[in-house]
Amino acid sequence: MPYIENARFDVSIIGAGPAGLSAAYILAKNGLKVVVLERGRTPGSKNLYGGRVYAKPLEEIYENLRNEAPIERWVKKERFSIMSRGELFTVEYSSQDSTSFVAYLSKLTNWMAQKAEEAGAVIVTDVRVDKLYLEDGVVKGVVSGDDILKTDVVIDAEGVNRLILERLGLVEKLNPSQVALGLKQVIRLDPVKIEARLGLSPGEGLAWLIIGQPTGFLPGGAFIYTNSSTISIGFVVFLDEACKRATKHVFDILEEFKQTPTIKDIISDGVLVEYGAHLTPEAGLDMSPPKLYSDGLLVVGDAAGLLLNLGYTIRGVDFAAYSGYLAAKTILKAHSEGSYRKENLSLYQKLLEESFIMKELRRHRGISKILRSSEVFTEYPEILISMVGKLFQIQDSSPTLIQALRESIKGKTSLVRILWSMFKMVRAI
Amino acid sequence: MSEVKVMKKMKIDEALNANVWDVDHKPHIIVDYEKCRKLCDKRICTLLCPAGCYTLTGGEILFSYEGCVECGTCRIVCPHEAVTWDYPLSGRGVQYRYG
Repeated sequence: MPYIENARFDVSIIGAGPAGLSAAYILAKNGLKVVVLERGRTPGSKNLYGGRVYAKPLEEIYENLRNEAPIERWVKKERFSIMSRGELFTVEYSSQDSTSFVAYLSKLTNWMAQKAEEAGAVIVTDVRVDKLYLEDGVVKGVVSGDDILKTDVVIDAEGVNRLILERLGLVEKLNPSQVALGLKQVIRLDPVKIEARLGLSPGEGLAWLIIGQPTGFLPGGAFIYTNSSTISIGFVVFLDEACKRATKHVFDILEEFKQTPTIKDIISDGVLVEYGAHLTPEAGLDMSPPKLYSDGLLVVGDAAGLLLNLGYTIRGVDFAAYSGYLAAKTILKAHSEGSYRKENLSLYQKLLEESFIMKELRRHRGISKILRSSEVFTEYPEILISMVGKLFQIQDSSPTLIQALRESIKGKTSLVRILWSMFKMVRAI
Repeated sequence: MSEVKVMKKMKIDEALNANVWDVDHKPHIIVDYEKCRKLCDKRICTLLCPAGCYTLTGGEILFSYEGCVECGTCRIVCPHEAVTWDYPLSGRGVQYRYG
């Protein structure tokens, strides 16, 4: 870290993602000297997600988000489908009031970096932080290779792979039950075609979740998001279930999904411009470090396990950014008190508890377990599609609903079991 | 970086070629093949690494780091601790433009 050696910083932040940069922005705006250390070549170059961000928490941090941020489309249509044998059963909700938008995370992150820099934060890229620097058990900076950067306090925003926290012994090594694997392709397509094929008005955004066949019936779900002139298509699967049940390569499962008749028509003449993958925290509070603060240290974003997967939607970026915002508020208070000991930094935990983040995570605690153990992703898509098919594909006699269902579940499961797992799901969500 | 029509089923390498890369000259992940050979018959890495970095060649695991998207899956799914994993240095590796 040659050119920052002589500078003196109050705060160092590990990772220029939504969490780290939101913290940097608020701290710099309030006059603290902040440095963000990013392993990638540019902020955002190592970030990847599904495609949608909930706006409200971000607007509390970035007042002009709506006008300034690189927003692709506001989500005006929510579609949910169950797919089996290439057939789809779909529910759709459309509204002109939109609370979320589709954006490229690399570009959104880069915009956050600009905001932080304009406020006075220093962002140093190409630097991989290897561990924390400690003096008498107190975090006093960061270490990258042979270089030590001393600061009064450190924010760990290293992301889902918590190598630094693991090395410090603050968390155990991640295990497959705590995360999900997401794969995504970005496909360039004429905006007119995007809108015509997906039933959108000009400029409207779509968030589409599809369960069942797209993941090869692994617990999880596929997504399609519309950007201005690309479609993001991919899926998320619970990693422990994938370990147990996968019989095909995950990439091939995604390719097969793209070849199903409906999807094939939608992405036809498209050109692939990016393919990537990322882990996503799934265990929420059950994978958080026992404490999100210690002497000289705060943990934010994915590293803290602050992400909520409700099955029908995932909230990660807004949770991450807002946790960074609360970490910044905590540090500003501690700065005014003249100490970054854990007594001063415990305010972070309190602010988190009072915020939507912990309220949401507690309210939905255990949802991840229910989702993955559920037949909703495995057996039921087949049953439902078979039943709907029997109802609509009329030959001579038209079956009653209950006849169609009975025939579809024959030998597979019972009506009572289906109703029970539906009840469990609805209660958890 | 080269653009690929999505009409027909793609191979992983074709998909990875759409990305921008700055591949490091030395690997950021080391695999202990001895453990793969002696301890592992399931070889889940060959199905779950989204970049297809783990392949079976003549019945043995072969790892190549070049197409790695740094997701961390292999580190976690390997039941035998055969994977020594870190991020690439100096901004190397995959360069997401969309993410």
